[in-house]
Amino acid sequence: MEKFNRLSLCGKIIIFNFKRASATNDCDRSELIFSSLAFEQEDNTFLKAADGAAIISRKRSAHVDIVKCKCAINVQKRVTTACILVTKKSEKGESFQYSLLTLSSSNRLEPCIEFKLPYQMRETVYILHGPTVLWSHTGNVFYASLQAGEVRQIPIQVSHSVIGELPLHKEHVFVLGLHNLSDQCTPSTSQTLGYFVESGQVFDGTMILPHPYICITRCILVLSAEKVDDVLKSAVIAATSNQQLVYFENGIVKDVCQLPFEQPENIQVVNTGRNGCLFVISFHEGHVCAVWKETFQIASHWSSVSSVHVDDFLGCGTDQMLLFFKDQGITGQPLDTFLLTDLCGISYSHGQDSAAPKTPPPSPENDLLTLRALESRLQSGLTVLQELQREVRVKDRVLQQSVRALTDVVSESETILTQHEQEGLIALWDCDDESRDEALDDKTQDMPAVSSKPQIDKLWHRITEERLVVGVILTTDSSVPVASVSLSILTETGQSSTPAVIQTQSQVFWLPAPCSSSSSSSSSAYMFSEPAAKRSKQHNAGRPNDLNTCRLAVTAVTRLTPLLNSGCVKCHVMLHYVQRQDAFALVSNPTPVVLHCGQFALDVHSDFQTRLLKNPDLKTDEVKEDLLSLMAVLDRWVFHIDSPEHSLGDIDSWIQKRVGCKRIEVSPQYLLLNSSGPSALMLLHWHQITPFQGELSVHSSQLQALQFLDSLLAYLPASCSIQPVKGTKGQGATQIFSLALEKEMVSLIECVSSLLCEEEEEEEERKSLGHEETPEPGSVKGLQRCREVFQWDVERSRMRLSPLVDVGRYRRLTQSMSKAQLDGDLAALLGTRRTFLC
Amino acid sequence: MSDQMCQPLSLLYRWIQENNELVDKCKQQGGGDALSPDQNKTHLRWCSSEFHKLLKKIQGIPPLADYLQLELTVVYNACLCSTAQSQFSEAELLLTQATERVLQMTGDAPVASDPPVFWRTVLKSVGDTALNPCVLYLLCLQWAIWLSTCQLKTIQECQDELFSVFETLSTGVWDEGRSELRGKSSDIPLLVMDPRRLFELLQICTIIAQGAESLSEGRSSEALSGLQTASSLPAPRTLIAYTHLLSGSCLAHMSRPQMALQCYRKALETDSRCVCALYQSMLIYRQLGNTQAEIQALCLLHSTLMLPFATEPALAGTRLLSPSLLLRSQSLSSLLSVPSALSVLHNLALKCVHHERVSDGVEYYLDLLAVLHSEDQHGVHAEGPPLPSLPELYLQAGAALLMARRPADCMALCDEVITTTLELLPEKVVLEEPEEKCEAETRPLCAEGDDRVAMLLWAGAAYLLQGHCHTHLKDWKQAVTHYTRCFNLLVKVRFKKGSFQPQIPSTDMIGKQGTDLCILQRLKGLSLAGRGISFTQTDQLREALRDLQLSMQAFPECTSAGLWCGEVLWRLGRRWEAAACWEKTWSFTPQFSVESLSVYLQEPQSGPLLDSSELRRRIQELGPPLSA
Repeated sequence: MEKFNRLSLCGKIIIFNFKRASATNDCDRSELIFSSLAFEQEDNTFLKAADGAAIISRKRSAHVDIVKCKCAINVQKRVTTACILVTKKSEKGESFQYSLLTLSSSNRLEPCIEFKLPYQMRETVYILHGPTVLWSHTGNVFYASLQAGEVRQIPIQVSHSVIGELPLHKEHVFVLGLHNLSDQCTPSTSQTLGYFVESGQVFDGTMILPHPYICITRCILVLSAEKVDDVLKSAVIAATSNQQLVYFENGIVKDVCQLPFEQPENIQVVNTGRNGCLFVISFHEGHVCAVWKETFQIASHWSSVSSVHVDDFLGCGTDQMLLFFKDQGITGQPLDTFLLTDLCGISYSHGQDSAAPKTPPPSPENDLLTLRALESRLQSGLTVLQELQREVRVKDRVLQQSVRALTDVVSESETILTQHEQEGLIALWDCDDESRDEALDDKTQDMPAVSSKPQIDKLWHRITEERLVVGVILTTDSSVPVASVSLSILTETGQSSTPAVIQTQSQVFWLPAPCSSSSSSSSSAYMFSEPAAKRSKQHNAGRPNDLNTCRLAVTAVTRLTPLLNSGCVKCHVMLHYVQRQDAFALVSNPTPVVLHCGQFALDVHSDFQTRLLKNPDLKTDEVKEDLLSLMAVLDRWVFHIDSPEHSLGDIDSWIQKRVGCKRIEVSPQYLLLNSSGPSALMLLHWHQITPFQGELSVHSSQLQALQFLDSLLAYLPASCSIQPVKGTKGQGATQIFSLALEKEMVSLIECVSSLLCEEEEEEEERKSLGHEETPEPGSVKGLQRCREVFQWDVERSRMRLSPLVDVGRYRRLTQSMSKAQLDGDLAALLGTRRTFLC
Repeated sequence: MSDQMCQPLSLLYRWIQENNELVDKCKQQGGGDALSPDQNKTHLRWCSSEFHKLLKKIQGIPPLADYLQLELTVVYNACLCSTAQSQFSEAELLLTQATERVLQMTGDAPVASDPPVFWRTVLKSVGDTALNPCVLYLLCLQWAIWLSTCQLKTIQECQDELFSVFETLSTGVWDEGRSELRGKSSDIPLLVMDPRRLFELLQICTIIAQGAESLSEGRSSEALSGLQTASSLPAPRTLIAYTHLLSGSCLAHMSRPQMALQCYRKALETDSRCVCALYQSMLIYRQLGNTQAEIQALCLLHSTLMLPFATEPALAGTRLLSPSLLLRSQSLSSLLSVPSALSVLHNLALKCVHHERVSDGVEYYLDLLAVLHSEDQHGVHAEGPPLPSLPELYLQAGAALLMARRPADCMALCDEVITTTLELLPEKVVLEEPEEKCEAETRPLCAEGDDRVAMLLWAGAAYLLQGHCHTHLKDWKQAVTHYTRCFNLLVKVRFKKGSFQPQIPSTDMIGKQGTDLCILQRLKGLSLAGRGISFTQTDQLREALRDLQLSMQAFPECTSAGLWCGEVLWRLGRRWEAAACWEKTWSFTPQFSVESLSVYLQEPQSGPLLDSSELRRRIQELGPPLSA
């Protein structure tokens, strides 16, 4: 690529060139000539203001070259001067003589720094404040300056150096680099160091550039810097090899702009005055790009530019940029094609195809944003309009319906309402026959009111962690209200014969009927499963569906140690319950009954280290008892989980996937979580009500339950709610209440139907007495009779709808009904009181 | 020195902070539901552009191991925002860039563009590092993009990789990794959407889309098994309802209508806004011939469609990616389509009129006309069969009114039809019988002629209905006038078959049912019969006989014409002929089902009636024919 040695100084362009006077003159000398050009607004051209020359070498064979020219502040003269670095290769090519010349105010070239190097500078050379010449060679950074007077090496070993200038008071030129601890460019193996050339001070480089950027920064421009309390504050622009222009403030990335070209070489600032600042980035191969400082967006870009200069060429007080384009024209004049602009109104160009000022294209992103804003406003307006229209429509409909109703009233025609409208219901296509079937089922069910005392099936005891659990499995009928059942333990120590009642906590569990315990058979043989609605009617195991007999497990828990005071102790287990007189009255005539269930002996010498549920895979009675004991010992919480918008998914399998989770074979609805030691046993029971609702029973210690819930919450959908179900401890209460309500309903149905049936019978009798023969409608009299029969029929059917009943019987009905209702009320009261207690 | 060592992290830390703040802002907006949809949209757009900006910063540095997890997280967030805005190509570009950078970091060469191979390589090159879940999340997003762009095949090919996502999520690597770091939670880059939720959503949406696809390709049982398992997956209510709905459609295809009905019912139970379940079950009832249930379902469907639907509530967690974005397949949307409220109303009205619920039907017709008049095109956007033209509706409503014994209203409606069509009536019109095989193609061609014929037929039908009304009111003179007007209009139609000359259509040319020719003949027959019956009432027996006989010629199945023709013959003393005429009339079996014809083309039930048993008695009294 051709090298253009131009620079701008004080609104003028200075061009340097070598002139080899070998052909014309005898003495072969290399002459460095320069010319200074100023812009003439009237002629729209650059006119020569001054020129001059300096002899660099007189030797013929010397190979002289311009390395770089740039303006830099001369510290001694305190003035910005044009500097030009020239190199002279020695004849043998083993050493290189470098000299930095400065252009004095009297347009004379004066040598400033001279040094000799055994190599040629290959990488980028910087001419910076001082003037200081900086270059890097084989991983080291060297510099030569007026003050130093010789070539010096930066004392720290860095790779990937970034060199720049800070507008600080004392320290200007800095070198940033990664201080390698190994080969790689990672924070763990290297650190970012900064080095001030003037003072030799080392500082933390991340205050200027964050670590990852050191490797990729191609050029840097410090906008501002100051030291506050010895901490460096800076605003920096860097162009990276990733085609980005990054704006840093104190080492923090503030903004990023994607650049259109690769290989950035230089960044300059154009201060356009009121219109803000522009960054001009020049790239390899003559691309140039201008970026607004305020918006950090690209203002304009050009290609095939030979050089870019920023200065006040017009002398108007603000900066402009001057772009010289590579010559495409015939003229061959180097400065023929140029563009002088600040992108804010000033624009002079020459030699370009389009003489018109190249206005920056408006950022397409801005357009897009405006468009989007307008679009969203339009949309919101539209929705408001649609809502209004919808409202109007609803109003219209209401009006229409009202008017129709009104006209119906006026014209005395009956308003036609469909059946479900009358009922205020929306009928789905539910067919009625199902409910009819159920009603039939209910009727056929009769209730034998035979009360018998509960039958004790099994008595067992377990010891776990200083607690004794005694349990009884019994079969009972509906005459024994579950709420009233409890166990007590009477101790009989060896010496004294008077038994003592000890304090226990009693609990009742429903057990599934023995026949239906194996109802968990799966029917997956079908090619596809039927809809669940069809299947769910078949059985509901585990519920006391048979009202007459039910199996209960009653447990009592007590502290073990007081029992063992006297070595060996005999315990009698007593069952307490209330016998009801008839099936309908719930607590009307309570007769407390005590039943002796059996006895067992405890010895202080026996081994108390039993562990419950050693093997949940077994299916023995022992395990069942273990389970019941565990449930008696552990605290129990029931949580209702409701997720209205999002279905819950397979929570059961989620629980099973947890560490140490096993299904208890004896009652497969329970899962045992045995994660950490015997003290942390946890029983879980998940009951999915609908895909959106479920109930979780947790038997465990409080802390564990909380931990479990916490992890469950993370799994559950965000919109879901977990509510503890009230009255979990007295779970019997709700059942009692529901039973009471059911009985109330059943008794109402039965009473009323019996009342009506008897009425009917009487009527039948009356009818049999009355007219039986069908009258012949032929005669007038017959017609009369016909009419009578018809009217009587009408009357009868009306009577059937609102029948008359005997007062006495009605009174009896109300009496029994109020009794049943009273029982229901009582059960409700009981239930609520229990929930309060819990 | 240690302080300096921390410095490089601060950039990472800051970016994490920036990401987390953005995520918070993004989520916060979802908390306040008071915002309108387009405010949400603007917010989403803002979030998206912010994430992209952040990503641009992060991707400005070379891919470093420390930064890559953050970068992939931000890619996830940005990509999710883009996907949520349906900018799929942008999102896909992000994914490719990100994976390229991952490969660059691990030092593997870029790979082929075949998606399964590509992702397999990326996952392999990441190995079991901390980046693995991040890459899996990106794969989830790729999945979302595939799903949104209906690339079900690609999803199928990548099934194994997608399953590995599930395993990662279900083994709880993410959760545990999180809880470990919970202490310094500000150091973990947050995600805008829980990947597990995203996975769940994608899973069910994929099953639904695949189910719809298989269903449309006729593989119902295959689709069914997938859908049934999907119904127990964790998912938003709407989607669960869709699985039930599609299961129902599968079962309906497998000719198990009752089970299909159960499924539709479950769909509705799950999500009451699943109107298409209601519509589908209505179709099943129609197919089963359960008219009462069909009417009920139509009625429900209509009232549901008239409900001002609340805009879809913002689902927590899935708010960013709405299921509708992921379910865009053609086959699914056709399954989910529901006709417009007006079309449903019309159907309902027609059903009621056809099935002895005339008064309801009339009300529905009047509702329909009122809605049409208020020019309130509610639900016009809905797909489905278009409504019949307005005159047609008027005539149907008129016929219904007459059935409901409201002749005055009927006449008013007919007047309306006549006044609108009168000026447009052609002097003469030629009806061309389209060639049978290319009927479908020629239809649109002769649309203009059709229009004119249709116009004429409407006007004729209107006169016919008016005639019926006057008959109903026993105003025989007026009835004769209107029947005559009808007939006069109808004779303007000439019929042209093939290359023959246009001629007056005759009985033997009766075309297929539903064609204009058939309607024409029917109208003629009915108008003549009506006039004949009116003449009998005014004792103009000869005119009556002529008209009735002509009527039977034009439209042999006209029962009233046959019976009355016999009656006239009887009165004229031609008893044997009368008996033969009656016998012949009774022997006819109606060729067309009642529902396939427009209501107004059916024989009126309101005119003077002859008791068939009485007629039979008369025949019996007459004894066997003397001749023989």
